[in-house]
Amino acid sequence: MSRILGLVLAGVLAVGVVVAIVASLSGTFAPRQVVRVQGVIGSEKQPFFQDPAVQAVFQRNGLDVRVDTAGSREMATSVDLSRYDFAFPAGAPAALKIKTDHKAKATYEPFYTPMAIATFRPIAQLLVANHIATDEGGHYSFDVQAYLALVKKNARWTDLAGNTAYPAGKSVLLTSTDYRTSNSAAMYLSIASYVANGGNVVTDDATARRVTPLVAPLFLRQGFAASSTEEPFQDYLSIGIGKTPMVVVYEAQFLALQASHDRALTSDMVLMYPTPTVLSKHTLVPLKPNGDRVGRLLQTDPDLQRLAARYGFHTADPGTFNAYLKAQGVAAPPQLVNVIEPPAYDQLETMITGVEQLAKDGGTP
Amino acid sequence: MSRLLATLLAGLLGAAVACSTGGTTAGTSGTTLNVLAGSELKDIEPLLPDLQRATGYQLKLTYVGSLDGAERIVNGDHSQLAWFSSAKYLSLLPGGAERIAAQEKIMLSPVVMGVKHSVAARFGWTNNPNVTWSDIAARARAGELHFGMTNPAASNSGFVALVGVAEAFAKTGAALDAGTIDPGPLKDFFSGQALTAGSSGFLATAYVQSQDTLDGMINYESILLSLDQGSQLREKLDLVYPKDGIATADYPLLLLDRSQRDAFDKVTAWLRRPEIQTRIMQSTNRRPALPEVKPDSRFPSQVLVELPFPGSLDVVNRLIAVYLDQARPPAHAIFVLDTSGSMQGSRLDSLKRALLNLTGGDTTITGQFARFRQREEITIILFNSSVYQTRDFTVNDTSSSSPDLAAIRSYVNTFQAGGGTAIYDAVYAAYQVAGRAMATQPNRLYSIVLMTDGENNVGRDSSRFLADYHRLPENARAVRTFAVLFGEASPAQLQQVADTTGGTVFDGRTASLSQVFKDISGYQ
Repeated sequence: MSRILGLVLAGVLAVGVVVAIVASLSGTFAPRQVVRVQGVIGSEKQPFFQDPAVQAVFQRNGLDVRVDTAGSREMATSVDLSRYDFAFPAGAPAALKIKTDHKAKATYEPFYTPMAIATFRPIAQLLVANHIATDEGGHYSFDVQAYLALVKKNARWTDLAGNTAYPAGKSVLLTSTDYRTSNSAAMYLSIASYVANGGNVVTDDATARRVTPLVAPLFLRQGFAASSTEEPFQDYLSIGIGKTPMVVVYEAQFLALQASHDRALTSDMVLMYPTPTVLSKHTLVPLKPNGDRVGRLLQTDPDLQRLAARYGFHTADPGTFNAYLKAQGVAAPPQLVNVIEPPAYDQLETMITGVEQLAKDGGTP
Repeated sequence: MSRLLATLLAGLLGAAVACSTGGTTAGTSGTTLNVLAGSELKDIEPLLPDLQRATGYQLKLTYVGSLDGAERIVNGDHSQLAWFSSAKYLSLLPGGAERIAAQEKIMLSPVVMGVKHSVAARFGWTNNPNVTWSDIAARARAGELHFGMTNPAASNSGFVALVGVAEAFAKTGAALDAGTIDPGPLKDFFSGQALTAGSSGFLATAYVQSQDTLDGMINYESILLSLDQGSQLREKLDLVYPKDGIATADYPLLLLDRSQRDAFDKVTAWLRRPEIQTRIMQSTNRRPALPEVKPDSRFPSQVLVELPFPGSLDVVNRLIAVYLDQARPPAHAIFVLDTSGSMQGSRLDSLKRALLNLTGGDTTITGQFARFRQREEITIILFNSSVYQTRDFTVNDTSSSSPDLAAIRSYVNTFQAGGGTAIYDAVYAAYQVAGRAMATQPNRLYSIVLMTDGENNVGRDSSRFLADYHRLPENARAVRTFAVLFGEASPAQLQQVADTTGGTVFDGRTASLSQVFKDISGYQ
């Protein structure tokens, strides 16, 4: 009996395989040959690439895009890129490094997002009362210079005046990702080094070395940090104020949840923008011809641009982004004026290895 | 009809494709994914049939300790997935972060202290959000609080608690660095430790057995809540969440085999579905990781300040070493070793190797933590037809040139096989050794390891042993015997000794004696 069933099933399976092969050959399901394209991307873009609507646009254009995730600096240094058709880090410095190393002809910047800080309203108000943040109506701006002064004296939350909101004995620190691997931490380092350098982008190695000990405590005092930006943001959402009272995020991560009216976001959760801030320009570096097709599509396909807006990314055409947010009943994010450029890859590298060395030499300076 | 057929075909085709992907074995009803997992995830097993129905993937969990698991992953374990209470230690190990192709948090449980209700009430700790680790240390130092905690070198809950306590005492507000580890207050705190264990689950079982002589234990909130909901406790435990900070286990599911990305995405998507998150919360008492599923009323609503985790392996390893060598109550390990005739040859060689590894021969990470530690007393009882030799050693110097370790090594190298197997006489002798030692050194943590490769064939029989055991003084009777099955030993005889004394049985037939002795060190 079971043997008969087995035979029947085997037969059915064989028919199924034939049907599938015939179907794909005759083009019933796909207009033309679909090629598989393998990319390595920053983890923050993974939900976008996994979206069936995004996959459908790629499929329509003959591409089956599969992605692995890695930190931006890992992509520029340790990841074996020969396996991939494109690399898509979250920041320009790593992308330019990859472009140079792999002699890529072009890069694509289909979308960008400013760096922001996700926090909780009581924390933001406490910072306002202590002149570290200002209430801009709808969002807050975060004074990086005032913050660096707090970190310099290793202020605890309990040291802040009038603090009943968060009487924790731990240091006042932004939670970031691992400075050694992740783009959002490199963007945070870009901001901090600009401020520590008296309001100038670090453009040479001597300055980078001088600034390093000033910014190192921002990272070393945190101890263990995650390698992907999604992780501390998830901690912010699920564990909350006890673990991550303030976390460095991409504005897009927050906006995407707002626009989809995600229940994870409570009314207490608010955004602060560091002053100054930097834009994280998601930059695709094609490594093989099929990777180039992905980059071009992302930049030019109106559907993909619209879908990118769903994930909170500012698109090449600002109209697409603003129209989407408006349709979702979400206020447009502020027009940021105090935006700086990140240092070049080599100077970032000097600072990162410098912080690493300080960590090895016995921790917090 | 034709639609039904199409669905059926699509399903079968999908199964065929899934079965053909690399590194997995096709089961009768889906694809098996091997998962290296922490032992406390046994409580997830009831969910797995539903997961398989929904995703087509059968998770096959192999249980190991967290540190052991991290080491195996770095050394290239072939499991497709791993699932431990934390991935932080693994991420810090050289080559560890690279092994994690993806990770997704599944559930949360803070490590906290459960204190007997009457004791907590006496200290004013019941529902008191202001208790600190220093308050707990003060009660421990005063001899008013005796608690259990797992060995931080073997189990994550003990490790996380150690980090929390050390950080709270360092009072820097920042992550611990090597210079801020202060052994003084750690000694105060751990002077109250009266029970150790190699896993959080065993700790809970051991606590239940010894609950009359203990005041509480440090463990996962989930385990403490489950005990409180059950009927094994004579007195409920009040949960204390120290104000200066706690650490939360976040149970990330880890993808090790990149080719299983699709499987990983499907499995994590299912585990993070709101209704599954709710089910996990209800059946395991762990908090949901999905932010839209809010923790229900079984969890207190107070804000739990999370302590930072050290950022370097060096700091972590130094902290564990400070715990083992200075802070914890020192161990007195009694080894009862069978040198009967059947041990002749390779068996005796494996026994010698296992002991030599504990004196420094094993240079792996887990091997280094499993070594004999400073201040440790070791008694080796050799038996065949009778107990014929008992030798005591004290380890003060643990350096590679240590004369203390050299003495143990040269003694081990004299072992010779011959004669019969007087198991019960030998174990009883170990209890007499423990009883005598306790009279002068009551604050050590005592344990007995019984290794035999045969059945008892001379001397006391089991009923005489049990009668004699039950006449021992209470403190000696509380010493657990960890029995190692080897060769032709009787599982039933060893299980009885382990069950009677609150110990457990380790299988030296399927794992090497070296591995078993290393695992047992987590319980000593």
